[in-house]
Amino acid sequence: MNREWLVTRQPSRRELLAAGAIFAGGALAGCRADLRPRVCVARAASYAVDLEPILRVALAEIGVARSAVAGKRILLKPNLVETASGAGQINTHPEVVRAVAKVLRALGAAEVLVGEGPGHRRDTLLVLGESGLPQILVEGRLRFVDLNRQRGFAVANAGRRSGLVRLTLPVVLAEVDWIVSLAKMKTHHWAGATLAMKNLFGLMPGSFYGWPKNVLHYAGLQESILDINATVRPQFAVVDGIVGMEGDGPIMGTAKAAGVLVVGTNLPAVDASAARVMGIEPARIRYLADAAGWLGPIAEAAIHQVGETLASVRTPFALVEKIPAQKALLDQQSGAGY
Amino acid sequence: MPVAPAAPEATPETLLEALLAKLSRRVRADGAALAQPGETEPSVEATVWLALALRVVGGPAAERSQTVGEAVARMQAADGRVSASPLHPGAYSPTSIAILAWHGRPEFAAARRGAVAFLLAHAGEHFPRLPASPLDMDTDLTGWPWIDRTYSWAEPTALALLALESAGEGEHLRAREGRALLLDRQIGSGGWNYGNAQVFGSELRPTPESTGLVLAALAGRAPETAVAASLAYLARVGPALRTPLALGWASLGRAAWRQGSDDPDDADDPNNPELAIRETLARESRYGSYETADLALLAVAAVAAHSPRGLLTALGARA
Repeated sequence: MNREWLVTRQPSRRELLAAGAIFAGGALAGCRADLRPRVCVARAASYAVDLEPILRVALAEIGVARSAVAGKRILLKPNLVETASGAGQINTHPEVVRAVAKVLRALGAAEVLVGEGPGHRRDTLLVLGESGLPQILVEGRLRFVDLNRQRGFAVANAGRRSGLVRLTLPVVLAEVDWIVSLAKMKTHHWAGATLAMKNLFGLMPGSFYGWPKNVLHYAGLQESILDINATVRPQFAVVDGIVGMEGDGPIMGTAKAAGVLVVGTNLPAVDASAARVMGIEPARIRYLADAAGWLGPIAEAAIHQVGETLASVRTPFALVEKIPAQKALLDQQSGAGY
Repeated sequence: MPVAPAAPEATPETLLEALLAKLSRRVRADGAALAQPGETEPSVEATVWLALALRVVGGPAAERSQTVGEAVARMQAADGRVSASPLHPGAYSPTSIAILAWHGRPEFAAARRGAVAFLLAHAGEHFPRLPASPLDMDTDLTGWPWIDRTYSWAEPTALALLALESAGEGEHLRAREGRALLLDRQIGSGGWNYGNAQVFGSELRPTPESTGLVLAALAGRAPETAVAASLAYLARVGPALRTPLALGWASLGRAAWRQGSDDPDDADDPNNPELAIRETLARESRYGSYETADLALLAVAAVAAHSPRGLLTALGARA
């Protein structure tokens, strides 16, 4: 081994990805490494509230410390799907993006970027323009990256739950140190619920996976969610449940205010807690059940819950019986036996 | 490979000059184009779109058109396809743009024939419609996918139809079925999206970029009554569009149906594509540098807006 290489040069994220050496959040230097990953549920009544102090406390609670953030280049991945007048429940709210960026900057991040590759829309800039984000990008001097159109680089699929041997990722992932999933709390008509893990579908370039990202659907939706998460391993996630979506999500459902942000370094644990807020038993969501014991825990006892208690913020999201992926969740929701 | 020296800077007098000046800074000496300024590796998507733009613009731009067309030919695989990346040979939608870009160029006739044969030999996945399907579409119709061995979607099907039409294959059985697929995927209240009109009983939303592209492909091949709601949708949303993809395809779609601006030289007309393109270029500072392919699309749209039937007449592929 060339030891000089080890001491003179930090390996890039691309090299770490290629080596399968990117570790899940919670094991980061400078971050708390509990056996039980911490998930913080923070109340936020509306987007008019100053979210920055709320998120500053939440990140401290989950152990994202200045020593870990300082000097890092960080990609924020919001959920920008499509826009429709009066349907703010579709996308991660711009104020959440603004607040996370400000907190990370205050903790010493060298650069914060925002990137998304919408699954249905080829005109990412139109979605961006209508989302309300441009003002935040300009004010915060945040560069936006259209992940659908970026050049790609191939890495081994670390998950191998689908039949895909390799995954092609946008080059910006090789240039940043951290990836943060800024998801929306929504029901989903194929996956049951879309939270921090499913949000990472938007990392995959449409140029190579199509619109919608049909290669991933053919390879298996649930399996692909696991593969992307196992390969990319984001450092932490924030689920925007201040106003989420219930019913026929992820685009045609109706607004549902849960009034919370769910924050954590381990994505399965974050999603499990977010699902519980929605009144959904996470083990009924197949990709979460499959992630358990591998990518992270989903059992309530295995997660160190901080901030609000789950019982105090539980806000059952309406599910649609005629949608098979939601029917199984509906059966347990009516029983509320968890 | 160095980027070819751009023409001396001058104040652009026309919109096309401004667009071509931007594009010329992204072409290497070998004709391959970069997706963004400053990149080092050429982009297939950028190169095919630049080739098409130069072909449509013609005039002095045609000088470089030869070199860029040759670069596209070098990107073509032995089976005729032009793929987005060697990593992803299945991402073959640039094949359709290459066919359009090579139109009327005898030196690329063989390459073009190979590309057309490839398109006709390849199709999206299809399967019998299931009675309990949550999708309100005929899943047995065959079009073209974004990526090989996946389902047929609206936009790659429309691109393939434009290419086949330009190559004189508009009556081919595959083209007829492709048009049937597009009409099947039309949203009831008007417009198209990626290719799914309704799921679980909810009508999905249309998008201007998809609608414009599909309308461009159906022009002259479908009765106006069959697409009236979609034309009305574009007329409604078109004047406000200021992003390259949506504006470019919406302009091409409307031009193909002889809609849009009554007078392309009327600077006060909100439907004036030239005015809209200028305003779109002015927003580049907000969004960051536009993709080369999108700038090329705007150049194509700027020319086609003056053509009686849009892109295909601008190419000389339709009277």
